[in-house]
Amino acid sequence: MNPHKVKFASAIAILALVLVIPGVSLAQATGATLSGTVTGPSGQVVPNAKISIKEVGTGQTASAQSDAAGAYHVSNLAPGKYEVSVSAEGFSAASQTVTLAAGASQTLNVALSSGLSLEGLGFPQSQTQGNAREQARLDRRTRMLKIHQKLGLITTAPMLATVITGTFAGGRSTSSTNRDLHVGLGSLTAGMYFTTAYFAIAAPKIKGTETRGPIRLHKALAWIHGPGMVLTPILGALAYQQKNRGEKVHGIASLHGPVAIVTAGAYGLALMSVSIKF
Amino acid sequence: MPRKILVALSVLALSLMAAADSQWVLQQSTLTYSVSHPLHHIEGVSHSARGKGLCHAGQCQFLIAVPVNTFNSGDSNRDLHTIQAVRGAQYPMVMVRTQIPESEIKPGTIHADLQVQFSGQTANFKQLTFQLVMEGKDIRLTGTIPATLTDFKIPPPSLLTIPIKNEIPVKVDMTWAPGQ
Repeated sequence: MNPHKVKFASAIAILALVLVIPGVSLAQATGATLSGTVTGPSGQVVPNAKISIKEVGTGQTASAQSDAAGAYHVSNLAPGKYEVSVSAEGFSAASQTVTLAAGASQTLNVALSSGLSLEGLGFPQSQTQGNAREQARLDRRTRMLKIHQKLGLITTAPMLATVITGTFAGGRSTSSTNRDLHVGLGSLTAGMYFTTAYFAIAAPKIKGTETRGPIRLHKALAWIHGPGMVLTPILGALAYQQKNRGEKVHGIASLHGPVAIVTAGAYGLALMSVSIKF
Repeated sequence: MPRKILVALSVLALSLMAAADSQWVLQQSTLTYSVSHPLHHIEGVSHSARGKGLCHAGQCQFLIAVPVNTFNSGDSNRDLHTIQAVRGAQYPMVMVRTQIPESEIKPGTIHADLQVQFSGQTANFKQLTFQLVMEGKDIRLTGTIPATLTDFKIPPPSLLTIPIKNEIPVKVDMTWAPGQ
C-alpha cells in the first residue's frame, strides 16, 4: 500500500474519532437521566417549553420539550456539570446548573416567572427604583412636622390664656399683677410659637411637589399670624411701659389689642385648616 | 371526502386559534384608595397605572403597576405624609399580579386571586370579585381590593393623635384593550 495513502487514511480515521467521541460521551448507553416539570409563576404546568441542556466542560448540547403535563425527560447524559436553560412563550427564560453522576436519575423542576416586568410596562428605571435617601428625608420631614403639629396644639392653651388675661391687663385696670401675668403668659406663648414655627420652616422640602389643598390656606395664614406674633409683643411692651407710667395706652401701642386678636384668630384658623375638613 | 377534510381543517384551525397567544393592554384606569379618620374621610386617586396581560395556553398573566407618588388626595401635604407612611420613596411602585383563565375573560363576574406588592411587603388576596363589562372590543373591570394597613405592615398614621382606621380599600376601575 502506498505510504501516503496509509497516512491519509490514518488522518481521516483520527479526525473521525475526534468528531465522534464527544457525541458518544454525551449519549453513552450508561448515561444519566434528567427529568422534571416546568411550571409557571402560580404553579401551573407549562407545556411546549424548550429545554436546552449544555455540558459545561465540553459545550455539548441536548434538547427536549415539555409535554402537555409540563414534563420533560432527557436520557443518556454523560456524567458532568450541566447548564439547563428553559424557555417558553409568555414567560421569562430560566437557567439552572445541575451536576449529574454516572447512571444517576435526577429530577430538576423549573419554575418560570411571568414575562411581564415593570420595564415592559414602560416605566423608566428612575421611577421604579427605591431611594433610601429620599425616604430618610421624608421620615425627617414627618418627624419635624409632627412636633410642629403637637407644639402648635399645645401653644393654643397659653395663647388663649394670654388673650383672656389681656382683657384684665388693659383698659382702666391699674393692677400690675394682671399686667405681669399677661406679660408672662405672652412671653411663654411667643416662645412656644417660634419653636413651633421652627419645626415647620426647618423641615426638609421635597422637590417637585406642587402645593395644593388646605395646606395652602395654612401657609397663607402664617403670613398673618407670623408678623402678628412679632408685632404683638413689641406693641405690648410699649403699652406696658405707658401703663406703668400711669398713662392711658395711646398712639401705636393702642394697636396691641387688635393686632393680638387678629394674630390669635389667624392662628386658630390655621390650626383648623389642617384639622377639620371644610 | 372533501367535506371531511374541510371539517378536520376547521377543527384544527379553531384549536390553533384557541392556543394562540394574545395580549391585553391597560388603556385607562382610576384607582381610588380610601382612608377613614374621625375627622376626615380621605380619598386618593391615581390615573397613572400601566398594565399588561399575556395569554398563553389558556391562561392569562396580568401585571398592573402604579407609582405610589401619583395618588392625589387634593392635599399635597397629606400626600407627602402618605408617601412617607407607606415608605413610598423606598418602594415607589404598587404592583399587582394575577392569573385568570382566558375563558373567563368575558362579561359578567370574575373571581381572581391577587398578589399585591406594596410598601416592601407582598399580600395575597383570594377570590376577589370583579365585574367585567364589554365596551366595544375593550373590556372594563371594576371592583374593590379590601386592603388593610396590617396587610402591608404599615403603622397607622395619626392626625391630632388619633390613628386612622386599619381598612384602606382600593376601588379599581380599569379599561383593557386587546393588544398586538
